[in-house]
Amino acid sequence: MIKQKVELSEKSRKFLEDLHVYLFSSGKNEKEMKEIVEELEDHFVEAEKNGKSIEHIIGQSPKNYMDEISAEMPVDYKAWFKYIPLIITGAFSFIIISDLFKGTLTYSLLEIVGFIVIVGIFLEGTSISFRYVSANDLNRKKEFSILFILGMLPMILFLALILLNSTIETPIVHFGITGTVIIAIIAFIFLTAFSIWTRSWVLIIFIALLSLPNFFLSFTALTESARLMTGTLITFAGIAIYLLIISRTDKSKRIKLP
Amino acid sequence: MSTTTQMMKGILDGCLLAIIKNKEVYGYELAEKLADYGFDNFSEGTIYPLLLRMQKESFVTSTLKKSTAGPKRKYYSLTEKGEEELRDFLERWNYLQTSVNNVLNHETVTRRSGNDD
Repeated sequence: MIKQKVELSEKSRKFLEDLHVYLFSSGKNEKEMKEIVEELEDHFVEAEKNGKSIEHIIGQSPKNYMDEISAEMPVDYKAWFKYIPLIITGAFSFIIISDLFKGTLTYSLLEIVGFIVIVGIFLEGTSISFRYVSANDLNRKKEFSILFILGMLPMILFLALILLNSTIETPIVHFGITGTVIIAIIAFIFLTAFSIWTRSWVLIIFIALLSLPNFFLSFTALTESARLMTGTLITFAGIAIYLLIISRTDKSKRIKLP
Repeated sequence: MSTTTQMMKGILDGCLLAIIKNKEVYGYELAEKLADYGFDNFSEGTIYPLLLRMQKESFVTSTLKKSTAGPKRKYYSLTEKGEEELRDFLERWNYLQTSVNNVLNHETVTRRSGNDD
């Protein structure tokens, strides 16, 4: 571990990373994933020392090989039952906090159900596209387009939900002031705990970028449409800059795998 | 194609069990041994899905041991259930081998004599 984290060809290294992503997005157990990736890493190191190519080990199709490994590993439902409520709560805090700036919370039943469905679709979409991207040797452009579509997906679904909500009448849930305050406190506690746990500001930065521009712009003399445009622009520019910074700092520590 | 690989996997399973029974080994060692014995036309990585399954069915267990060169290495050893499975495999294999040889010996011989007529 100290000295031997070495001499592995770029191709093998990439395969191991892709395998890890593939297994992760197939919902496998963290410990078992780490074990098989480490075992294969050991095999690759030995094989490369003896001049064998990666094809000699995994065969012609990386995807087939990943599938074969994946098929023998059980899905870790227990872990996912822990993660999914976490993700749903996270998504809800997202929506709730930007709405808090507009006053007390009211949602139609359709909206509440719709939020959960959208999160579900997005999770499934993420799993499918990550498996696809990691198992197939795609060029950067194709990889980027797939992830871009994935990123746009929730936005499109939210737009659809807003449209649907204006045409279909469902019972409306009013949370009132007390309800709103309680929900707000829960959301803040969750966000703080989440940020401490993951040691990352990502969620808080995203929420701030989504809700703060509009909030501050509402104090300016700009017209409604001008406000909306500037707000959206600031949000997207902010997210782009944040992602750029993240990818820069990530690249430097990317090499070490599990 | 897929049926032959399926058959091949069953045979490889048996060979892996036999090698592991003889000595505690790690993945790369297993692949090398198989290649030395003549199984050199399949990709080495094939053994890992098989090992994963044999672990799931508790035919083998694994322990991590420090290796002299670098990270910890996973060594496999046979369980009681694995020994049973190996015995079953030997039985199946002997039966199959005898039957196939019988068929081939008789049929190829009769055919040849038939052609001579």
